[in-house]
Amino acid sequence: MADFLAQYGFLIVTLVQAGLLGLSLYFPLQAGQLSLASPGFYAVGGYVAAILLTNPAYAGLRETLGQGVFPLTWLAAALLCGVLGLVVGVPALRLRGIYLALATIAFVEILRVVSLNLEVTGGAVGIFGIPQAFGFGERWQYIFLFGPLLVLTLLFARQLERSRVGRAFRAIREDELAADAMGVPPTRYKVLAFVIGAVLAGVVGAMSAPFLNTWNARQGSFDASIAILAFVLIGGSRNIWGPVVGGALLTAIPELLRFLADWRLVINGLVLVVASLYLPQGIVGALERWRRRPPPRRPVPAPSPAELRGGRRTP
Amino acid sequence: MNAPPVQATTVLEARGLTRRFGGLVAVNDVSFSVREGEIFGLIGPNGAGKTTLFNLMTGLTPPSAGTLSYRGTRVTGLAPHRVAALGLSRTFQNIRLFRALSALENVKIAQHVRTGAGLWAGVFGTARAEEARVEERAWALLDLVGLADRAGELAANFSYGDQRRLEIARALATEPRVLLLDEPAAGMNTAEKAALTSFIREVRDRFDLTVLVIEHHVPLVMNLCDRVAVLNFGELIAVGDPASVQRDPKVIEAYLGGE
Amino acid sequence: MELSQLVQNLLNGLAIGSVYAIFALGYTLVFSILGIINFAHGAVFTLGAYFTYTLVVGQFENNGLLRGVNLFPQGSPFAGSPWTFALATLIGAVVAGLIAVLIERLAFRPMRARGAEPLLALVSSLGVALVIVNLIQLLVGAEIYNFPANAYGEVRPALSFQLGERVVIIRTVQLIIFAVSLVMLAVLGYVIGRTRVGKALRAVAESPGTASLLGISVDRFILITFFLSGVLGGLAGTLVGTAFGVAGPYFGVTYGLKGLAVIVLGGLGSIPGAVVGGLVIGLAEAFVPGDYSAYKDAVAFALLFAILLVRPQGLLGRTQIQKV
Repeated sequence: MADFLAQYGFLIVTLVQAGLLGLSLYFPLQAGQLSLASPGFYAVGGYVAAILLTNPAYAGLRETLGQGVFPLTWLAAALLCGVLGLVVGVPALRLRGIYLALATIAFVEILRVVSLNLEVTGGAVGIFGIPQAFGFGERWQYIFLFGPLLVLTLLFARQLERSRVGRAFRAIREDELAADAMGVPPTRYKVLAFVIGAVLAGVVGAMSAPFLNTWNARQGSFDASIAILAFVLIGGSRNIWGPVVGGALLTAIPELLRFLADWRLVINGLVLVVASLYLPQGIVGALERWRRRPPPRRPVPAPSPAELRGGRRTP
Repeated sequence: MNAPPVQATTVLEARGLTRRFGGLVAVNDVSFSVREGEIFGLIGPNGAGKTTLFNLMTGLTPPSAGTLSYRGTRVTGLAPHRVAALGLSRTFQNIRLFRALSALENVKIAQHVRTGAGLWAGVFGTARAEEARVEERAWALLDLVGLADRAGELAANFSYGDQRRLEIARALATEPRVLLLDEPAAGMNTAEKAALTSFIREVRDRFDLTVLVIEHHVPLVMNLCDRVAVLNFGELIAVGDPASVQRDPKVIEAYLGGE
Repeated sequence: MELSQLVQNLLNGLAIGSVYAIFALGYTLVFSILGIINFAHGAVFTLGAYFTYTLVVGQFENNGLLRGVNLFPQGSPFAGSPWTFALATLIGAVVAGLIAVLIERLAFRPMRARGAEPLLALVSSLGVALVIVNLIQLLVGAEIYNFPANAYGEVRPALSFQLGERVVIIRTVQLIIFAVSLVMLAVLGYVIGRTRVGKALRAVAESPGTASLLGISVDRFILITFFLSGVLGGLAGTLVGTAFGVAGPYFGVTYGLKGLAVIVLGGLGSIPGAVVGGLVIGLAEAFVPGDYSAYKDAVAFALLFAILLVRPQGLLGRTQIQKV
């Protein structure tokens, strides 16, 4: 067991992390918004943690809080990314389709160039020597952070989907104009979905900075944007398990192909092409076709006709 | 059936509604008023501006000039979801259901403005009572349009006539006071058309609604509507009861000239 | 700003901006016909540069599977004269065009045939880009390869003239880049505006359905579009590689991204827009003050973001009226 964890522990944590990043893109997609901003928020979250954990300016804070500084980094990353998501989302979400995607790519690139040049982010070298969370001695132990986060996120996503807000997201995804006409304010919910994704990516970043030990501008790049998009599309974009399965699988494949040595990245590219061609609904989407959904059950008792009008009366 | 009382209050008041697209004037200085509880028809040849007028009235297209007010509240200038909250709900000429969602879900979504559960209430499941009410009303509305036994099917899989009925159920789910129907009979067969007249009346009575209908099929309009307005080339050329409008020489000319 | 500085910046900006323009036109052509962004375009750009380098130098001595292979033990017939170098560039561009055709056949056409979601084309085209980039790395390694100084013969490396207090310098490469780009733009303008192929291309772009009713083979014209797109991309790759070196397999990625900024700035799908967008971004970068040169790479994206917020259809794009 110890051998197994030593050998595969890092990989297993990385699979979970990829699934979480996939989910961060999945939330805006729920509301029909193709945002590729996740790596930007992931990078910001990581920088927040890296700075709080290494910058001499926060030495006093670390002294006082002890291990409590780690949850603080998550909170700080969530807050900052939430606010940043709001600031970027409100203007950007007026854009539709590919335009939004391109605007978010621009956002990621701007953040990357800025972090390459700021002193506080360590410039091109980045920040290194980030202390291990809770004194973890081995990498696999990070499963105790990413694992619960994944479970919580999946629960959150499932509950959200069944709620009024989840329905509003789906309505906007299906037809923004009709949703608006039926009383669902599109901008508010698009921004909400975007911010949820931003917060999640930020927290994942804040957990990843100690896990990876170093943090630099390469963490938030265009390649990462597309990689995360691939997690979601190849896993399946209409089911919460899609991004998780896609993220885990696409992260595992290069490792499984290790025997191919230098050819594995070439094969990895081919996998993307082939999967796009043969699994257009994603893996989970393809599996779902085999499962017939039971028809919805009508609640008892049946309502009396008077309730139809609802509670509201003419003013 | 129930003719509206003579001294009915005005619910909708359009004043000088105008919409230009580039050089084209789609709706030109249109003024009319709709009384509470009536079924008000909007007819006119193709391209007369009827759908544009509906779009102006529901906030989907901002007017170039003019106003619409609902019981004294200004409607023009509001976003579509605010218009829906105010109590105006509509269907679309080219049916705009949420096609990849089930019939049940289509109707549930439209109750958005009359419910209030936020993100956390949904996630922590603290809005159970509200959810139960939404669910019940959705089923009851599907019952009303005769689609309850197919509640789980995707909207895209329904026949044309059923989609039109589902869209009416969805519009009713917003608990409107004014229902705007854009060509509800289009694509329906003769039997469905015949049933539609009594169905719209029934809905009007049951929900205390005021109804506006855009319709091409003249016999249906004459049968159904208390009053009719005729639009031609964006201008309102006649308003009145169906019989007198039908005799109006301007209306006859518009229709003969159009064909 | 001094006049000489102004002129210098202007010249630098026009030279790089014109490359951005012809590169971005490759995106635009495909977008205007298929409505998708071909993320493999940056990889085609890289390939163009490597093909030309292969012809002119013939060996990659540093690393990779091809290390030690020398195509021309007697010295490359393409090196040493401007005309043979031009021929090598042309061949490189045409091969890049053929690769683009291959990409369309293998990655895009099957997706269209299946009616797949257009979003997936982003992923599959990126998959193609990954294959190309990693193949290059496998074959010749990740090192930077610079064209030898005499690759195009004994040509003056730069022109200079006095302007006020200072000297304005124009590198010969910049002049060539600018001239070649102008020629390419003229050729493309002629093809699209005046020839039968161009008219058909515009018809397909307007409405694929109608065009096929009129007897135009849509698939064939999509192939032609990809070929033109690949030629433009490959040519741009060689031009940039000549000026700044062939900077490893990933060297197309940055240009690929900037190309996106260019087409959005000009207006997605607009051909004059791509030209204007390219020049605007080239000039904007050239005018970034020296103290902030580290932020130069962010300029294109800041412009992209700004234009989307102010005028989402881009400088020369048309607004689309949504039908209710």
